[in-house]
This record gives sequence, C-alpha cells and structure tokens, in this order.
Amino acid sequence: MKFDISYTFDALPRLFEGSLVTLTLALLGFAFSVVLATIVTVARTASKSRILAYSVAIYISFIRGTPLLVQIFLVFYVLPIVGINIGPMSAGILALTLNSAAFVIEILRGGLASVPQGQFEAARSLGLSGFALWVKVVLPQTFMASIPPLVNEFTQVLKATALLSTITVVELMRVSQQIYSNNYHPVEVLTGAFVMYFLMCFAVSRSASLLESKFEVKRA
Amino acid sequence: MAAGSETKHNFLEMTEIRKSFGDMTVLHDVSLSVSQGEVICIIGPSGCGKSTFLRTANWLTPADGGEVRLAGELVGGVPDARSVSTQTKELNALRARVGMVFQNFNVWPHLSVLENVVCPQMVVAKRRRGEAEKQALAALAEVGLDDKKSEWPDNLSGGQKQRLAIARVLAMDPVLVLMDEPTSALDPELVSGVLNVLKRLAQKGMTMIIVTHELGFASSVADRVVFMEEGRIVEEGAPDVILQTPKTERLKLFLEKLNITAFKPNSDSAGHPTMDSGS
Repeated sequence: MKFDISYTFDALPRLFEGSLVTLTLALLGFAFSVVLATIVTVARTASKSRILAYSVAIYISFIRGTPLLVQIFLVFYVLPIVGINIGPMSAGILALTLNSAAFVIEILRGGLASVPQGQFEAARSLGLSGFALWVKVVLPQTFMASIPPLVNEFTQVLKATALLSTITVVELMRVSQQIYSNNYHPVEVLTGAFVMYFLMCFAVSRSASLLESKFEVKRA
Repeated sequence: MAAGSETKHNFLEMTEIRKSFGDMTVLHDVSLSVSQGEVICIIGPSGCGKSTFLRTANWLTPADGGEVRLAGELVGGVPDARSVSTQTKELNALRARVGMVFQNFNVWPHLSVLENVVCPQMVVAKRRRGEAEKQALAALAEVGLDDKKSEWPDNLSGGQKQRLAIARVLAMDPVLVLMDEPTSALDPELVSGVLNVLKRLAQKGMTMIIVTHELGFASSVADRVVFMEEGRIVEEGAPDVILQTPKTERLKLFLEKLNITAFKPNSDSAGHPTMDSGS
C-alpha cells in the first residue's frame, strides 16, 4: 500500500474543522485554568492559610501523579453519577482545566517568587492593598516572568486535547479516526492531523516569542 | 486629616517602639517625636535598628510594642501585647500621606515612568487620569525627570530610578516622607542628584525622616540628627552639636570610623556639586 497524498488533501476541510474544535478546547481549558490558578495563587499567598496551602499541595501531587487520560475518564463518568450532565465537550474542557491548573499554579509560584519583596512594600507604603496591590503591581510582574513556561503549558494542553477523542469529543483526532475508518487510509489522514497539530503549536510558540521580544524591546 | 490643627510638637509621635525578630530585640522602647516641617536624619552603624525603626513609622513593619500617631491619629499601636493596628482602610489612607523611599528604589518595572507616578494616584487617591497625569508631570519635573516620562524604569540609571521613586511619593501630596538609606545603593557619581532633590524638599518645608550614611548631607539639611546604636537612641540634637561635639564615646567612635571615608566637615553641604549633574 503506497502513500497517496490525495487522501490527505481530501481530508483537509474536515481536519480543518476538527482543528478549530481542538483550538477552542485548548483555549477554553487553558484560559479557565489560568483564571483558577491565579485565584488559588493569590488566595494561598494572601491568606497565608495552612489548610489552603496543604490542600493545594495535595491537589497538585494527585494531578501530577495520575495519567491525564484517567482524569478525563473520571470527570466524564463521575459527573453524571452525581447528577451533573454537561456533555463530553464541557467535561473535556473541565478535565483539561483541572489538570492544567495544577501546573499553572506551579508556574505562577515561580513567577511570584521572582517579584521582589520591595515591590509589595512600595505598593503598601503608597496605600495600595488587597485587590489593587495584586492587580496593579504583583500579578503583571508575575505573568511577565511566567510567559515562557505558560506558553509551553498551553502547547501541552493543546496536544492533550487529542485524548478527549476517547470521550467522544469530535476534535481533530476524532475527526481523523472517523475519516480513516471510512477510507482505510490512516497514514495519509493522520499525516494531515500531524501537520495540523504542529502548525497550531508552532504558531502559538512563534507568536509568543514575538510577544516576548516585543516586551524586551519595550523594556530594555 | 487636618494636620494644621495639631500642635507643632507631636505631628509624628512614636512612643516606646519595641520590636524583636525571634529572640533578638532590635528596638528597645524607642521614642521619637517629630514636629511639622522638621527634617530628621537617623545615623548609626548597620544593624543598629534604624531602618526597622523607620519602617515602624508607617507600620510597614508592625511593632511588637508601643504606638505611632500621626497628627494625633493612630497609625499603629499594640495594646495588651497583641498586634493590632487600625483598620486596613484607614491605615492605607494614612500610608498614602506618608511617603516612603527605599534603598532599592522599588519602582515598578512593568509600568512606564509616567504610569509609575500616575497609578497610585488613581488607585489610592482616586484621582481622574487627567488630574493624575498633571500632578505626575509636576512631580517628575520637580525631580528633573519630566523628559523621561515615556521611558521604562529598566532604562533609567540608579539615581534616576530613585528620583522616580521620590516623584511617585511626592505626587501623593505626602505630609511626611520616610527615606531608608536613599543613596546607599547608588554609584557615587549619582548620589548628588538625589541629595539635591532631597535638599530642595527640605527647603520647601517637607517633614522628613532620613536614614542615611551621608553625614555631610545630614549636617547641612537636618534640623536634628539622631544617633542610634543597638536598638536605642544614644544621642540626638542639632547636627553641628551631634557631629562636631559628640558626648558619648560610642558616637565618637562611629564618627571617627566614618570620617576616614565620608565625612568632610569643611566641605560645603554634602561635599557634592550643588546642582543636578546629569544623573
């Protein structure tokens, strides 16, 4: 059986649609995870609560210590049992969010540690506190320091969306499977998907490094 | 907070401030009262508690004992050995009127020079952007940085960063400015630019407490020099009295040590050129 590129080209329109779903899943999952991780980071730092710190540490070690595929199945099958029916797409995004949040919390911890104590002190001595202190002074610096690992984490999430094909989310991987189970040309179709995934990740990391160098130019 | 209605003597009243870090007591019931318009320089060997004392003045470092009152209002106090301070909101309002300048500048690197000065005005003083920018430009002009308003702090020299930090404080219309070794982190040639700004502030009647090693500057600007050692005020008085005729052996020793390197009693003011020398 020789490689026939025409199968790849024929599949492209549907693969493109699948890519859009993949991108949507990744963007939503990652966006929610950054929001969640930011809230946790601020709460953990500002409250100095031991219970919160321990809970977060335990959560992170569970997420890191189990396969994402298991986490996805758990969210997908457990939620209906407790009476929550949100469908595979939402369950998938939720699973990605819960997983990625653990890693983003760790990323932000590093970013936060790079903000000197004097930055907090200057803000407090000027009367900034609470919300304003975080939003105006601390978080911008935390995120600036975290851009490279955050971009990396986003590409991880983007690639992890392929696992959602297992819970019937019709994203790029699932679309590919549907196509080659009809035409029996998995190599040609998956090559198309391969290129699609690569282009998405490449575009993300390229635009991120452009963004970074723009900051550099602006600031140094 | 009408400062003018208060009597001159107790504008800032720091009473029996005590502070320990672990087993080490760094401040032993230190008291200081400052009248309005007074410029006080605190000198002393490193580790004597002078910076910690300064930082309790706006309760940035809460003390373990004693209280601080500004124009009669409680900034922070410790009744019953429990650390309580005024409500955070009130404390912030007070802090906004008490400027603080740090050794390491602590300007915000993610904001432009102008935004560094605008941001606290809008957030804390609730000024509109137009007004805040006007005030910021005036403050930047005051410290000679008006031409740098669109720069990023990373592009400024140390002296410029410190002057930016001062402008940020001035734009908040402070009633009192605390300075924690404002020139210690600067290259020698950048010191004079900052000291000149401080001198102008003193001439304008700004109430200031300055922790400094610049004895020449202290002698020319301070109304009162306070010498601290081992968490206590050992001597205080007019600068020429304190610096020329020290009463205690400890101050004598301290001045002798500094004399070798820094203090030139015969030179004018800080021993630096008088006007801005570019930095």
